[in-house]
Amino acid sequence: MKVVEVSRRKFLQGSVALSVYATASLATPFRTNTTQTSTKEAEETPFLCNMCRNKCAGFARVEGGEVTKLDPNPFFPKSRNMLCPKGNAGINALYDKDRLKYPLIRMGKRGEGKYKRVTWDEANEYIKDKLVTIIDKQKDNRSTIAYCNGEGFNKDEYIQFFGDKLGSSNFLDEGSICLNTKLGATLLTIGDIGEPDIAGSDYVIISGANRFESLITPDSIDLIHNQQKLVVLDPRCTITATKADDYLPINVGTDLAFCLAMTHIALKNELYDKTFVEKYFEDFEKYKAHILKENYTAQWAEGKTHIPADKIEQITKAFFGAERPLYYLGRRSVWAENDFQFRRAMVLLNALAGSINRKGGIIFGEPIKLPKEVVNAPIYDQAEGRFDLDGIVYGANKGGSWLNFREKVLTQSSPYPVTAMFIRKHNLMQNMPNIAKTKKMLEMMDLVVVMDTLPSDTVLMADVILPECTYLEREDMVVSFNRLEPSLALRNQVIKPLYESRSMQDILKGLGEKLTKPLFEVSRKYDEDLQESIQELGEKKAFEEGGYDFTELYRNSVTTRNQNLITKAFGKEAYESLKTKGVWYPHMEAYHREIGNHRYEYYPEEKRHYTVQRDFKVKCYLKKLAKHGFDAMPSWRDSYDFNVPKGKFRLITGRNVTDTQTATTNNIMLRDLMQSNHLWINNKIAKELGIALGDKVEVASSIGEVQIEAYPTNKIAPNVVWFAHGFGVQSDELTNSFGHGASDNLLIEDKFEKIYGCATMHHTDITIRRL
Amino acid sequence: MANYGMAFDYKLCINCRACEVACKEENGIELGASKHRLWIDENDEPTGDFWNLDRTKSHFMQMQCQQCQDAPCLKACPHEAIYKDSNGIIRLYEEKCDLSLNCVKACPYDARYVDTRKKITDKCIFCADTRLARGETTTACQITCPAKLRFFGDLDDPKSEISRVLKERKHFQLLPEKGTKPKLFYLE
Repeated sequence: MKVVEVSRRKFLQGSVALSVYATASLATPFRTNTTQTSTKEAEETPFLCNMCRNKCAGFARVEGGEVTKLDPNPFFPKSRNMLCPKGNAGINALYDKDRLKYPLIRMGKRGEGKYKRVTWDEANEYIKDKLVTIIDKQKDNRSTIAYCNGEGFNKDEYIQFFGDKLGSSNFLDEGSICLNTKLGATLLTIGDIGEPDIAGSDYVIISGANRFESLITPDSIDLIHNQQKLVVLDPRCTITATKADDYLPINVGTDLAFCLAMTHIALKNELYDKTFVEKYFEDFEKYKAHILKENYTAQWAEGKTHIPADKIEQITKAFFGAERPLYYLGRRSVWAENDFQFRRAMVLLNALAGSINRKGGIIFGEPIKLPKEVVNAPIYDQAEGRFDLDGIVYGANKGGSWLNFREKVLTQSSPYPVTAMFIRKHNLMQNMPNIAKTKKMLEMMDLVVVMDTLPSDTVLMADVILPECTYLEREDMVVSFNRLEPSLALRNQVIKPLYESRSMQDILKGLGEKLTKPLFEVSRKYDEDLQESIQELGEKKAFEEGGYDFTELYRNSVTTRNQNLITKAFGKEAYESLKTKGVWYPHMEAYHREIGNHRYEYYPEEKRHYTVQRDFKVKCYLKKLAKHGFDAMPSWRDSYDFNVPKGKFRLITGRNVTDTQTATTNNIMLRDLMQSNHLWINNKIAKELGIALGDKVEVASSIGEVQIEAYPTNKIAPNVVWFAHGFGVQSDELTNSFGHGASDNLLIEDKFEKIYGCATMHHTDITIRRL
Repeated sequence: MANYGMAFDYKLCINCRACEVACKEENGIELGASKHRLWIDENDEPTGDFWNLDRTKSHFMQMQCQQCQDAPCLKACPHEAIYKDSNGIIRLYEEKCDLSLNCVKACPYDARYVDTRKKITDKCIFCADTRLARGETTTACQITCPAKLRFFGDLDDPKSEISRVLKERKHFQLLPEKGTKPKLFYLE
């Protein structure tokens, strides 16, 4: 790809600046280039990265108050003493010149980017006035306010504020545009979401998860180092595929057929682990009869997948012949309507091989349990339930279904109107299919409040912008990681928040102080239970015992809360270790040792939690699915067949190693490595169409069109095209990324599967025209 | 005093470019696709038709100054601006460099580039004026690498990890026919 990523960034000029009405600027450094580290005295503070979902650990070098370098942390079992390119480039997220610096209130139209600078108090006052009117109008139905969050850390505290304290049931997160089908399929089949033990496996099959370009720790690292056989199925020859022992190019969305054929071969030839099946399976005979009756042979699967039948036979025999095989369940967006069935078929294959709750399989392990901080939550009589899971068989009760939610709001078919949204670190205007619909939904709101660090496309739709600080400027509550080699890790504050940005806790504290009394008054007006309670107990007691005080959560600082919680549960040494090393686990001092060239062992083999005492069942048949008219056991349906009309291409999505969706898109260092995305198109087809490297093409689907440069390659199937997610931003406030590449969600038609309500991403056919 | 060299377990590379970013951040290398002390060569893309790709020759190669014992750049400089420091690292007296570019042209490994901010020719010096100067014993690229494929250390110390790995494993150097005697080794 080197050829096409040639020119350097252009700084766009003359854009309408977010700070156009700002009157003062603070003398805080931002970076437009790199700076060399010095030999001066420096502090080394342990931090947890937030450039993607992994939360790898590192040490930040701080010279005279400035962060000059981020280095990996050797103590954290999860991240294996490494930082990826994004982790290394985190400094530029901190010192991004486009950062949101002060609270802002919208002046012009939504999306126009005209804002005035206000104080935190003014912003909170504005939100309070709007919210009182909105909630009063909805007669104290708190669920008229939807709230969402796209960042793992602090999510539960965010829910405590808007769910428990404010009382809305409409929380949405990234799960329904990410991996909920995989989590659900695993949970419903073996009773736990588990954790894959790549390091312990001797034979790994990966369907489409691009572990060398979409890094997941420790999975990706263990895949590099361990000498297991690796089989990769993908409609695109990714770096993961290039590195595999066996690469099986496959038709888009047909991995389920491959799994069904593997199952068929295993059952027919009795390759499965009979002792394990006997002990743990439920409805095994039913599943066996179903698979054999449907006759999902290798020949049948060849017709669906384009993988030769003898290859499927060979892989299946090798998989079941291996000592510790693992069919890696992936961690990726949902592809097709059969996604849940596909993930479940993979879980069942692991179970058939006996690869559950044992080394090299899907392990249950022993996570370190953190005590919960209890919150006194009011019960709002008038607050209604969520509606986005209506028509969904299972669905995630916590994070819901984005596309179903959006559709119901847009068509005004929800049981009550949603009139306000609080959005934190969740780029709705880029992260889900059909951006025009998201825009329309936001335009329908009476109030949109966004907390973020950068002026994303979503931020430009806000009425009030609350600047959050980055991960390097705050301490977060301690987090428990992993099950096989469990540990606690603490995100320590490296430097104080820049500009007027604040941590989420400080933002919510300020907002809570403003909201507590006025919103209590609204409840008093409509909530009969509260009225009774006031009569019985008196106002003061009814308020206090009812849990109406929003600020209850933030009486102590995060630092104090961490100190109390950790010291009480794990002792002083644990707290000390988390403050100075960023990490703690039992016997860390004794277990942690170098095994050569800066690689470490974190737990000795015999202390890893490969197998735990647990009663569990492997469920082949899910009655609830049958009841709702879906297949109770993984099955193939004709609608799953891969067909692309002549002259069209199937669009698939994914990402580059240098980016995490849209969150890293404005990072100067990462844009320096990979300025833009490019359309991968099969080289022979490109030649026929007269499309050469770097040619600008128009790509169109039924819902939109984009322009993008072409990258003809033999690494993609003839009727498939791909480009990386995360580019083509519409916000010209993101000066490092605006004008580069195209956004996939302008093209992907919005459809969702009905078992978890997840947006499917790989069903859109597109046309290509050379410009 | 050491004789620093580097060895690469090059087949482990996944081309994630963490090394490139770590180097740029540590050493303040200016941005720009052509401005780098190290880079990854993407060799031998898979060949053939999509359904039958040949991936056997595909690999990524870690490229940077080869720290030649007989360095052509050193000899090519008309101002004697290039020297070998006490750790065996090829360095530059920045104030003597007048961008004649003779060193750039002389290097068979294309390891040098022009630093437009400092107006010098620059290349990898094993983090000599940052990490090593602070007493650290690792380079930025080495410590951040997810594959930990870079071995860095004193070639004259038989107990160093790099000496051990070079003793244990077959390895090769780049362009040995040029007679530059590189101190960078690629492990088979």
